[in-house]
Amino acid sequence: MKKIRLTPLFFRRIHKWVGLILGLQFVLWTLSGSVMALLDKDKVAAHAHDMGHAHPLPGGEYFDVGALSTGDPVLGVVLRDLGTRPVYEVRTQKGVRLVDATDGAAISVDESLAREVAAMINEAPIRQASLLPKSTLETRDHEGAMWRIDFADAENSSAYVSADTARFLVMRGDTWRTWDFFWMLHNMDYMERKSFNHPLIIFVAFGTLWLSATGFYLLFKSFTRTDFRWLRRRKKPVVRTLAN
Amino acid sequence: MKIRWPLVIRRFHKWLALIVGVQALLWTLTGLYMVTVHIDIIHGDNLVRSPAVEPFDLTGLASPALVVAAAPGASEVRLQRHFGRPVWRAETPDGPRLFDAKSGQAVPDPTEAQIRALAQRIYTGDGKIVSVRLLTTAPQEMQSRKPPFWQVEFEGWNRPTLYLSPSTGELISRRHTLWRVFDFVWMLHIMDYDERTDVNNPLLRIATWSAFAMAISGAWLLIWSFKRRKRKTA
Repeated sequence: MKKIRLTPLFFRRIHKWVGLILGLQFVLWTLSGSVMALLDKDKVAAHAHDMGHAHPLPGGEYFDVGALSTGDPVLGVVLRDLGTRPVYEVRTQKGVRLVDATDGAAISVDESLAREVAAMINEAPIRQASLLPKSTLETRDHEGAMWRIDFADAENSSAYVSADTARFLVMRGDTWRTWDFFWMLHNMDYMERKSFNHPLIIFVAFGTLWLSATGFYLLFKSFTRTDFRWLRRRKKPVVRTLAN
Repeated sequence: MKIRWPLVIRRFHKWLALIVGVQALLWTLTGLYMVTVHIDIIHGDNLVRSPAVEPFDLTGLASPALVVAAAPGASEVRLQRHFGRPVWRAETPDGPRLFDAKSGQAVPDPTEAQIRALAQRIYTGDGKIVSVRLLTTAPQEMQSRKPPFWQVEFEGWNRPTLYLSPSTGELISRRHTLWRVFDFVWMLHIMDYDERTDVNNPLLRIATWSAFAMAISGAWLLIWSFKRRKRKTA
C-alpha cells in the first residue's frame, strides 16, 4: 500500500472527492441560506407571533362554573373572549368543549365563527373557508381539526383557526411558503420539513466539514506572493516620491 | 483574445474563498453542532416534568366574574393548581396573577422557600439547588423575556437553570450549557452578533451570496476537472 503523505495535493484530492459526493448539498445549503437571509423575516412569520388578538374579558356575571361538568372528569377550564362573546373551554379526556360563558349554551366552531375569528387578524376580504380534519404541512406544529380561511391579499394569506377551541392558530402567506421550501432544502427533511437532527443531515454535515476544512487549509497553499503583487504595485510610487 | 475560463474561475473561486473562507468553515462547524445535538435536548425537555393531569372538582368554586373584576384587562382566566390548591390564573397586561379558586382572594406571591420547593418539584435531575435569585434585569440568555423572574440554578456539569415567575411560580424558561453553546453557535451561524435574532442582516446576506458564488464556481471547476481527466485518458 502506498504511504499517505499529507501534502497539499492529498488535501486537494480530499477537497475534490468530497466535493463530488457532497458538493451538491453544499451548493444547496449556500443557496437556501442565501434565500432565507433575503426573505423578510416579518413577512415569513406573518402574524404567527402577534398576540394582539387577545381580547379583554368583559365585566359582569358569568355562567356558573359548577354547571359546566357533564359527567366526564374535567381536566381544565379556561375562560376567554372570542372578540364577540366570552366562552369557556372545558377540557375532558374526550377533548375540548366550547361553552358560551353567559348562558351556558354549547358552541360549535362553524364556518361563520371561524371567518369571524380570522377576520379579526386580517382585514382583507375572505376568498374561501374550508374545514381540514387534521393538520397539514403548513400547520405541522398544531393538532386537531381546523378551519383554513384564505384571504384575497397580496400574500395569499391563509389563517388557521382551531375547530375545537376557535383559537387562531397561525397565519401563512406566500413568503412563508417560499421560505418553507428553502428551509426544507436546508434541513434535508424532505417529508416533514421539521427535523434537523436526522442521520442523513448529520452524515452530510460531517462530510462537508471536510470540504470546508480542507478548502480552508488549501487557501494557505494556493496563494503566493505574486497573487498580492497588485497591492505592492500601488504602494511603489509612494515609496519613490519619499525617496526623492 | 481567448478567455481561459478554467483559470478565470479558479481565480474567482480562490479569491472568494479568501473572503468567506473563515465564515464557510464556521457555518459547517456550527451547523454540525446544531444537527448533532438534538433540539429537544437543547430545549431542555428532559430537565423538567410536566404537571400531572388530575380532574378538578368544579363545585363550590368562586365565580371567574370576581377574578375579572379584581384583575381588569384580563384576557384569559384559567383553572389550575398551586401547591395542590385550585386557583384561577388571570392573564393580565401586566403578567399573570393567581386567585384562590374557592375564596376568590388574591394569592400572595410565592416566597423564596416556595420557589425552591416548586423548582425542586419541576426539576427531574438529582442535583441540589446552588443559588436562588430574584432578577430585575434580564441576563443575556433571557433577553426575549420581560423581568422580573426567579433564577434557580442547580448543580451539574451543564449548570441547569430554571426561571420561574415571581407572581405565579410557574416555569418560564430553562437554560443549560448545551443551550448556551447552541445560542452562541446560532449567533455565529446567522452573523448577528448583537441580538442573535436578525436573520436578514446585510452582513449575512452578502456572506451567503458570496458563499453561493464560491460553491457554484467550485462545482464548475469540479465538473471541468473530471471531464479533463477523461479527455486525457482517452
